[in-house]
Amino acid sequence: MIPAETSENVLQNSHIINHQNVMISLKNIEKVYRTDTVETLALNNISLNINKGEFLSIMGPSGCGKSTLLNIMGLLDAPTRGEVSIDKHDTTQLNDKKLAAFRNRKLGFIFQSYHLINDLQVLDNVELPLLYRNSSAKERRQLSIEALEKVGLSNRMKHFPTQLSGGQKQRVAIARAIVGQPEIILADEPTGNLDSAMGSEIMDILLQLNERDGTTIVMVTHDENMARKTHRLVRLFDGTQVQ
Amino acid sequence: MFSHLFKLIWNKKKQNALLIIEMFISFIVMFAVFTLVVFSYNNYKQPMGFDYNNVWVINFFPPENITRNDSVSMFHDELKKTMLAMRQIEEISFTGNNVPFSMSTSNSSINYGSHKNVMANMYQAEETFNKVMKMQMIEGRWFTKADDASKYTPVVINRKLKEELFGSENAVGKVLGEQIIEKGTAENRFRVMGVTENVKDKGSYQAIENGMYIKMDSGWARWSGTMILKVKPGTDAAFESKLFKTLSNAIGTNIEIEHLDKKLVSKNKVMLVPMIIAFVVAGFLIINVALGLFGVLWYNINKRRGEIGLRRAVGATGDSVSKQLVGEVLVLSTISLVIGCFFAFQFPLLNVFDLSAGIYLAAIALSIIFIYALVTLCAFYPGKQAAAIYPAVALHEE
Repeated sequence: MIPAETSENVLQNSHIINHQNVMISLKNIEKVYRTDTVETLALNNISLNINKGEFLSIMGPSGCGKSTLLNIMGLLDAPTRGEVSIDKHDTTQLNDKKLAAFRNRKLGFIFQSYHLINDLQVLDNVELPLLYRNSSAKERRQLSIEALEKVGLSNRMKHFPTQLSGGQKQRVAIARAIVGQPEIILADEPTGNLDSAMGSEIMDILLQLNERDGTTIVMVTHDENMARKTHRLVRLFDGTQVQ
Repeated sequence: MFSHLFKLIWNKKKQNALLIIEMFISFIVMFAVFTLVVFSYNNYKQPMGFDYNNVWVINFFPPENITRNDSVSMFHDELKKTMLAMRQIEEISFTGNNVPFSMSTSNSSINYGSHKNVMANMYQAEETFNKVMKMQMIEGRWFTKADDASKYTPVVINRKLKEELFGSENAVGKVLGEQIIEKGTAENRFRVMGVTENVKDKGSYQAIENGMYIKMDSGWARWSGTMILKVKPGTDAAFESKLFKTLSNAIGTNIEIEHLDKKLVSKNKVMLVPMIIAFVVAGFLIINVALGLFGVLWYNINKRRGEIGLRRAVGATGDSVSKQLVGEVLVLSTISLVIGCFFAFQFPLLNVFDLSAGIYLAAIALSIIFIYALVTLCAFYPGKQAAAIYPAVALHEE
């Protein structure tokens, strides 16, 4: 369990960049995957600023580096070269413990395949991020119920993920992403496994989170219609930003 | 976090049931092994109660031509006189064939007051027996020739028998009975002349048993083909050879001389055999359990890579993922141990095998420590592997 103070220390100790309103700043990001014989350039010199409260979508063909870019923004992967700053804090030099605390406090993740733990009930799945904070069981329960109410799933709290539809699963994943009240949500093809009606429902929840709570959202998508609903669209091709 | 682990385990109870059973069986086996070990160690810690160094045992066939009781007594006296004339021999006693560290046992049931059929080892001994063995008297005295006139056969009992029959009362002068099976209700009667310290005459790992030393009468002496003698320190093989020749001249052939210290070593080896067998069986089982646990955990980690990636994404450090996996196994083993302890505690409660409760409790504690150490060890490396999983890769795979 990560003590609450850790993330505060991270915020105090990391280098502060002076750009007003920038929530995520990527500077000259390069990502190279190496094997014994092959070297693959996944991202090539990407620089991108995402403002507070912005809803940005990333599009591009399969294998162009969208998810890699999202993982780097989410501090799940480290760039081979370049700098990643989140909320004006340089994250490049942070160790595993500080990165984990940063992810826990600042970021929420939504995945195409939901990544719910099938052996835990919906409520327990939602409170997962809070387990890595110094919060009481009562507080965790309260926040989780509130998050589930926001996504309209308070009547499914005691269900297991296997008892839910795809759309419901994704709503649980959204509740899990927002339960810790992060400033940023990173969504990797959140509607990719859903039909269009379900997809629209999920998109509406994300738009609502962005508009009502001012949450910064970065979404990877293949769906032009979904992308059009966001504030800004970034297109990647072969690891390079083309739009 | 604990309640989270319990929930995870409870919701996967079917998958975890076999693992719990495996650890439960391991606990029971280890409990049995540790009970044996603690029991043997406790016995080992007890003093021997006599000095077996420089004590020799001579076994022989009593001469067939000496059959009358008075002739037997004369023969014994002559033999002792001849042997005591040798300056290397300090003391001699004729005895029964259940000498220390032999494979022979002689026991009978003793009655005293409300204590009926108390089993005790019976030793035929002469008045010099305690001097050869250097036994320590704690009450009264060893019997002497003067006690031959006594109405009841004089005996010396050991501390354990005294405590069982008389508690804190003085045992000296009390009369005990031994039922003679072939004569129905008739009893041999013994008068307690003294109480001696407990003697471990069946090896270092033997539990203290009740013992009674009966003054050998001429009827018994007729059949006695065993004597023990105390020799001076440093008495060598040359003297042993000379003694052998002397005895051969006096008794005839079929004479065997043994040294008690060597008999103890060989007796201890025999007593260690069950422990070694238990260790080997338990060792194989533990290796199997360890490999099984290791395999299951390894499999779990590969099966749960997505979950591990997710936990990392929502704020878990590699270290906390590792601790969680080890914690899950520890919770599982705790469930097994609770079930195991329920059964193990029945042994002291029901006084199974007549061992003291302390032995069982120590064995339970050692088994718990062992199982926890084993599962921690088995979970440690897979846990480290889980900590090393790169979240982006694990999430992508899923």
